[in-house]
Amino acid sequence: MRRVLLLGSLAYGLLFFGLATLNGGMLALAIPLVVLLGAAFLWGPGAPRLRITRSLSAESIAPGTPVVVTLSVINEGPPLEEITIGDIVPPALEVTDGEASVLTSLPTGEVVEIAYAVRGKRGVFEFQDVQVTAGERLGVFRRHAMLPVPGRFSVLPEVSKMPQVTLHPLRTRAYAGPVPARQGGSGVAFYGVREYQSGDPLRWINWRMSARHSHELFTNEFEQERVADVGLILDSRRRSDVRGRSGTLLDHAISATASLAASLLNDGNRVGLLVYGGFLDWTFPGYGKLQRKRILEALAQVEPGESMIFESFDYLPTRFFPAKSQLVLVSSLCTDDLQMLVRLRARGYQLLIVSPDPVSFEAQVLRTRPGVDLAARIAHLERALLLRKLRRAGIQVVDWQVDRPLARVVHASLGRTPQWFRAVGLEV
Amino acid sequence: MQEAGRKITAWLLPAGTVLAAASLAMGYGLNELWGGAVTVGVVGAFWVVGQWRRWGWVASVALVLLIGAAAVGLWLGAGGGWMLVGVVAALVAWDLDRFAWRMRAAGRVEDADALERCHLQRLLTVSGAGLLLGAAALSLRVRLGFAVAFLLALLAVLGLSRVVGFLRREGD
Repeated sequence: MRRVLLLGSLAYGLLFFGLATLNGGMLALAIPLVVLLGAAFLWGPGAPRLRITRSLSAESIAPGTPVVVTLSVINEGPPLEEITIGDIVPPALEVTDGEASVLTSLPTGEVVEIAYAVRGKRGVFEFQDVQVTAGERLGVFRRHAMLPVPGRFSVLPEVSKMPQVTLHPLRTRAYAGPVPARQGGSGVAFYGVREYQSGDPLRWINWRMSARHSHELFTNEFEQERVADVGLILDSRRRSDVRGRSGTLLDHAISATASLAASLLNDGNRVGLLVYGGFLDWTFPGYGKLQRKRILEALAQVEPGESMIFESFDYLPTRFFPAKSQLVLVSSLCTDDLQMLVRLRARGYQLLIVSPDPVSFEAQVLRTRPGVDLAARIAHLERALLLRKLRRAGIQVVDWQVDRPLARVVHASLGRTPQWFRAVGLEV
Repeated sequence: MQEAGRKITAWLLPAGTVLAAASLAMGYGLNELWGGAVTVGVVGAFWVVGQWRRWGWVASVALVLLIGAAAVGLWLGAGGGWMLVGVVAALVAWDLDRFAWRMRAAGRVEDADALERCHLQRLLTVSGAGLLLGAAALSLRVRLGFAVAFLLALLAVLGLSRVVGFLRREGD
């Protein structure tokens, strides 16, 4: 439009100047401009009729892995002398290879392909429109169009390998798994002794105890191991998030939740996810690889949220989780969360908290000054007190300084380290 | 091959600019309008610098200034031929500047050589036609009555309005 306006204004200007000065030469000067405009009018393109298809090399990927985006454009309308086709790349993505736009001429029925690779951090990325600018060869008259060609892919959070997490829920499910079920039966760990019942395997008979009773036999019982219902809760409240040098604390919390979900699902447990922040995002409990994918997809979309309602844990919807099941909360914790967490424990939920330490994380960003050091010490003490109160209420707490690998911290806190290993001071 | 094709534009663009400025300066100079000649020279130099530094806005500003200079020169009695050549050369340089910008802005150019060749053919045709028609208009001497001249001017304005209106409505 600006080109047409510029040339049109110049031509008008010359015409009026010529009329005003009664100088015929001015009209002659306007002729090249009028010819240029006439050529644009004559050879101007019709409305572009293009069929564009988008294909992505993957729907969900690990961070840092490139995705190849391919656009295939077929001209189903009149020939286009000069056309620029540009894909609108979401701003958070980085083009690592190829180009997202092409300038070409496109005769009827011809196909042009645009292929480029993008890379991004955790998130869900949606492609919407492709921008098309068709013009005649001189580029004076151009038509713009935005053609919707949707596409979507997710960059999943990083999943690190975790050791087996020991859970002790009050209630387990019927299927065999790794969680001690607090019930005697077949298993590995010794649970108790009972009278012999017909059908008991002979090797389970406790001969030492049976020898003390002349007419009775006794059988060893082992603790049953089953799968459990685990509710993962990720705290995505903005007030519990801290921005540091290497991203945010929420990014670490998300990565920890993903690793825990993968580990728990790997052990055969039924796992659900609740993201608690600006709103409630609930992933219904399930088993296996499909559930792992669902949870990672949900975690890929997590952003810090702010809400008057969900500012504290008071509105944590416990009805989502089966009674007496295991809850795993990943949160940096705020002081006023104590009441609700103790209440949850009192309702019979077995609660494990993995808490990324916001004080150490923020202290790394701040410069060392006497005031900052003092404030950090006070904050450390407040946090230590909060964690102690939680532990005293029977809640398992993993205090995680995010510069240490989560797997090591979890293993040290919850892993099944043999008693004798710890007795000789060889803590992991 | 693609680079060779782009070299033609890279060579023609400053050549067109220099020709436009030189032609207008010559028209002014031959009539001893030295102030105009120097001004036109400065505008031309500014445009060349703009092309070198890739200042996109300079081309349109310089086109307006050079065409304005041609109109003023003609009014002051400078040679019509020089002014017409200056206008056509300025239009060619402006078009090539825009074309080079489009080539640079696109991430990938498919068959840049053919695209440039077709562009130059079209540009040559259009600017040649403009130059010929303009020269014919300058050399023609037709005596018209006021009513006929007014009617023709009105027709020209209306026709141009329709073209510009259509291009604005249908284009970007």
